[in-house]
Amino acid sequence: MAKLTLGGRTERRPFATSANGWAIAAIVLALAGMAVSASAGSLSEADQQCLGCHGSPGIEKHLANGETLSLHIPGNTFAQSVHGVIGCTGCHTDINLASHPPVKNPVSTKRKFSVAMVQVCRNCHSEQFGQWEQSVHAALVNEGNSVAPLCTSCHSPHAVIKGAAEDMDTVPCKTCHGDIFTSYAASVHGVLRSGGLTAAPLCFNCHGAHDVSVASAGVGRRDVCLGCHTEALASHSTWLPNAQSHFNAVSCPACHTPQAQRVVDLILYNSATQKEIPGPAGIPEFESPTGSPTAARPGLDPTTLMTLLRTLNSQGVEGKTSIRGRLEVRTGLEDHELTVASKAISDCNTCHREGAAAFQSVEISVAGPTGMPIRYGASKEVLSSAFSIESIGGFYAIGGTRITFLDVLFVLALLGGIALPLGHLTLRWVFKRYLNRKPHQQRKR
Amino acid sequence: MVRIYVHPLPVRIWHWINAAACVMLVLTGVQIRYVGLINLVSFRIAVAAHNWIGFVLIANFFVWFFFYLFSDKIKVYHPELNAVKHFHATVRQLIYYGYGIFKGDPNPHHVSVYRKFNPLQSMTYQVVMLLLLPIQFVTGILLWDLTRFSGMVAFFGGVRVVDTVHVLIFICFVFYILVHAYLGTLGRTPLDYFKAMFTGYEDIEEG
Repeated sequence: MAKLTLGGRTERRPFATSANGWAIAAIVLALAGMAVSASAGSLSEADQQCLGCHGSPGIEKHLANGETLSLHIPGNTFAQSVHGVIGCTGCHTDINLASHPPVKNPVSTKRKFSVAMVQVCRNCHSEQFGQWEQSVHAALVNEGNSVAPLCTSCHSPHAVIKGAAEDMDTVPCKTCHGDIFTSYAASVHGVLRSGGLTAAPLCFNCHGAHDVSVASAGVGRRDVCLGCHTEALASHSTWLPNAQSHFNAVSCPACHTPQAQRVVDLILYNSATQKEIPGPAGIPEFESPTGSPTAARPGLDPTTLMTLLRTLNSQGVEGKTSIRGRLEVRTGLEDHELTVASKAISDCNTCHREGAAAFQSVEISVAGPTGMPIRYGASKEVLSSAFSIESIGGFYAIGGTRITFLDVLFVLALLGGIALPLGHLTLRWVFKRYLNRKPHQQRKR
Repeated sequence: MVRIYVHPLPVRIWHWINAAACVMLVLTGVQIRYVGLINLVSFRIAVAAHNWIGFVLIANFFVWFFFYLFSDKIKVYHPELNAVKHFHATVRQLIYYGYGIFKGDPNPHHVSVYRKFNPLQSMTYQVVMLLLLPIQFVTGILLWDLTRFSGMVAFFGGVRVVDTVHVLIFICFVFYILVHAYLGTLGRTPLDYFKAMFTGYEDIEEG
């Protein structure tokens, strides 16, 4: 059973269960009321009653699983928060002073308590809650992830203030995504934002505030970036041939994070729904994500990939399973290390040549249950094999992913085109000499 | 020896523009495909030049097409409808190139104003002009602007498929250009056919 403690001392709180208790409570509240600041004093009388106990530092509950749940609510902070106006019972509607604190508390773990309490947010913030339910965060929560964020993970319910999520110092995302935030902070976006340019994006501008999604899912970062950089296509078209095709096949960070390691992401998708398909069952290569291919696990080879697609498309499924290729950066950190346009890769030779670093790593990705892509290793030969002409017909970089078999044919044609005339010419010369000499030799005989 | 006018001016203009454009397209195509291995010009310049020359070649194709379409010279491209006759003539021509020419046999094909191509030439030129070049034009235009023609590119199976077809025909042209140039030296003298493609006149044996 959960137990309530104050100052480390375990104590049952009987005041709410007797008439004397009310009197004691009133005295305590009066004293506590004097203790709280003027700000806390702006709270309603009922709220101040609550703070009479919960305003005391150290009040906490020991849960059955050994965790300690802090019950301390700093009065001033709560009063200054946007929730101060609705008061304690605005959210804690189930609290009844007549039975508070309960003799038996159903709180078994902090996480379960938070998951249960988060439903309260829906009452006022139904739109945002609905968006959250569609988010990758909610998907992770539903999957049972014990650290996936709930409303209260980002918006401390008793201290939430307007605009906190829009400030680099207080943006909640960095609590969990600290390393990515560090990358972002050093990027052109982070530097501009910290310099006071509010038009520069913070986390939520690209990932959504509540409907947090994986920016690389679907059509990827392209549309996210173009949301602000509306002139990007026009400006790229002035110097980049087939700019739109580059936008479709190359993620923005692949060029705008020049130091990043790049990887070709071959996304399996259904051409009818245009959505990524889940990992195909019964295919050994999709049993466990391998990341980059290794010598021990070289990943999908061209013929396996071709066979896989044919198998997937022979099962009478509506819509054809196809592959959409895209050049990405390898890690989420690199995704956020965007630099200024003048430092971005603009040399065509970087990718359009044999052995380009961009095409040395290849992965096949499918949709994971939470919307996060799951990636499997593939051999880099899938980009240059004649067996891939059909499989990855939509992804091709002239020079960089050229088909080796065609190179062989080209050399044969070149050699043949030179050798055939040279051979013919030689034969003509030999025959001419022979024929010219023959009458002379005959005369000699 | 008789001089006959076998190459009208529009054909000669078309031919040399065609030849120059094809060579330039092969060279820029090789540069585009083999960046790093060959570095004559930058990739970007090679792509721009390849595109512009491609359009010149397409426009030039229509010089050829409309000249022959609206003149009686189209007879030079009339196919031999008698398959047996065509087969025998082709074999004779092959035997000449593969054996007879070494012995000094005369060319079995006798040039006239309306029969200037031997059976092998006739067949080859029809394949080149009516099949390979048009396919090369279509695939080239698709690759030139993948977004504008994204529907057609997808219909054909994607950019990799379109590019593969483009490169396969490019390989055919590399072989064709080399062999074509060599066959051009097999006249009475090595420069006879080249001169004829400038003057329009060809000297042929009487009888």
